[in-house]
Amino acid sequence: MNRKTFINNSGRLILLGGLVYLTGSIIFKRKVSASGKYVWQIDPFKCMQCGRCSTQCVREISAVKCVHAYQLCGYCDLCGGYFKPNTHKLNTGAESQLCPTGALKRKYVEEPFFEYKIDEKLCNACGKCVKGCGSFGNGSLQLQIRHDLCQNCNECSIARMCPTNAISRVPIEAAYQIKGDFKNPALTNPK
Amino acid sequence: MVLAAVIVVLIVTDVMNSRPDKRPDNPYEYTVDQFTSVDTALVKYTETIDFTFGDLDLRGIAFANNRLYLVEDNYLMVVSPEGEKLAKSELPESPGCVTASSDGIYIGFRNYIGQYDPDGRLVKNWEPLNDTTVLTSLAVTDSTLFAADAGNRRVLRYKTNGILSGSFTGKRDSADLHGFIIPSPYFDLAVNSDGELWVVNTGKHAFENYTFDGQLRGFWENAAMTIDGFSGCCNPAHMAVLPDGSFVTAEKGMVRIKIHKASGEVLAVVAPPEEFKGETYAPDLAVSPSGDIYALDYERKMIRVFQLKK
Repeated sequence: MNRKTFINNSGRLILLGGLVYLTGSIIFKRKVSASGKYVWQIDPFKCMQCGRCSTQCVREISAVKCVHAYQLCGYCDLCGGYFKPNTHKLNTGAESQLCPTGALKRKYVEEPFFEYKIDEKLCNACGKCVKGCGSFGNGSLQLQIRHDLCQNCNECSIARMCPTNAISRVPIEAAYQIKGDFKNPALTNPK
Repeated sequence: MVLAAVIVVLIVTDVMNSRPDKRPDNPYEYTVDQFTSVDTALVKYTETIDFTFGDLDLRGIAFANNRLYLVEDNYLMVVSPEGEKLAKSELPESPGCVTASSDGIYIGFRNYIGQYDPDGRLVKNWEPLNDTTVLTSLAVTDSTLFAADAGNRRVLRYKTNGILSGSFTGKRDSADLHGFIIPSPYFDLAVNSDGELWVVNTGKHAFENYTFDGQLRGFWENAAMTIDGFSGCCNPAHMAVLPDGSFVTAEKGMVRIKIHKASGEVLAVVAPPEEFKGETYAPDLAVSPSGDIYALDYERKMIRVFQLKK
């Protein structure tokens, strides 16, 4: 085989490999965007709340926010995401709250249920509430990249540091990967 | 040349600092370490034997007739207290819980109960309940079977021939705002040797004693991370009654197994959280007449046996 044939064959092989990869990813992964657009997102099943979403984002205040899957929430009085583990009184006193910025709000619904909402302006994506809720509750609080805030960098600086590779590019059509539904039915379907 | 060297140094520094062992500690670490270490004087049980049956999706455990009854995905297994497999029979679908007496074995599927003879042969399937039913626990006496329905937050009362004879939701009357509060599908109950029905109201971290027709006779509750209470949103996830009437409890989240007096005071620790490192599911529990505790460890897929220290 002369050099020209070798280069030609190698080129064909690379092209064929690319075609096979593309076809395989369409068939097996089914995570190809129809519009061809992709965004960064966190897989909540892989996230271990390491705190780096808070410190590694290029934005001054992280584009990662805690979101609440109301479908999964137990509306508990003793909420592991809201209260410090050693809290003595289940009230809204700052000394009882787990969130370092007070972004998680607790509202009485009816005895003995409480609704928890996130003030996204205050949330710094530290993940403490997510850890507490996942450890002691139903895991309804989860970290997600908010696409109205994310700059969709070519290389996500949080993803580079994520110890569990929980952040990946996903098709824009499935931009949020939260477990359950995070639309509050009480807000979206008011009776 | 100098610029190239600076760029190389910057890249190398960045790569070195990105190594897992060089990453900064989490400034927002959530820790419950202060509650995971337990006074060793309180740990009065020791783990004596473990047994496993391979990579099975175990769902529930019961002790009766000097046998262990295990339900796993699509199978019922009869096992000796030492872990020898005696029998195995196929189930029509995934079970959720099991109880047994000298008369037979009762298996809770999602919305109906299957009655089996002591050898594991199907006697009959009881009438299915509504679609929102999630059966999580069964307890049987001579003539009555109680079933905890987490989906509808109620306790069902059956005759042991399968006739549904009543149910209650833990409310004393219609003016009560709530009865059982069940934030997650953990809702356990048991009947002790005195024939008293105890139901765990997990959302209240409470043990509630009811008459068979659903009248509240007494209760105690203790929501706390400390060893004397129950942690998280909804605990204890599982419980069993010891021969002396005290309760063995298993908590999810910070997994630990303890013994509480019937009046609520903590008596002993069976297994501290250190025994369940990295685990979050509370083991289902069964107790032998001699007081040995069998814990079904869902994550290690094994039965762990705890006995009182000598």
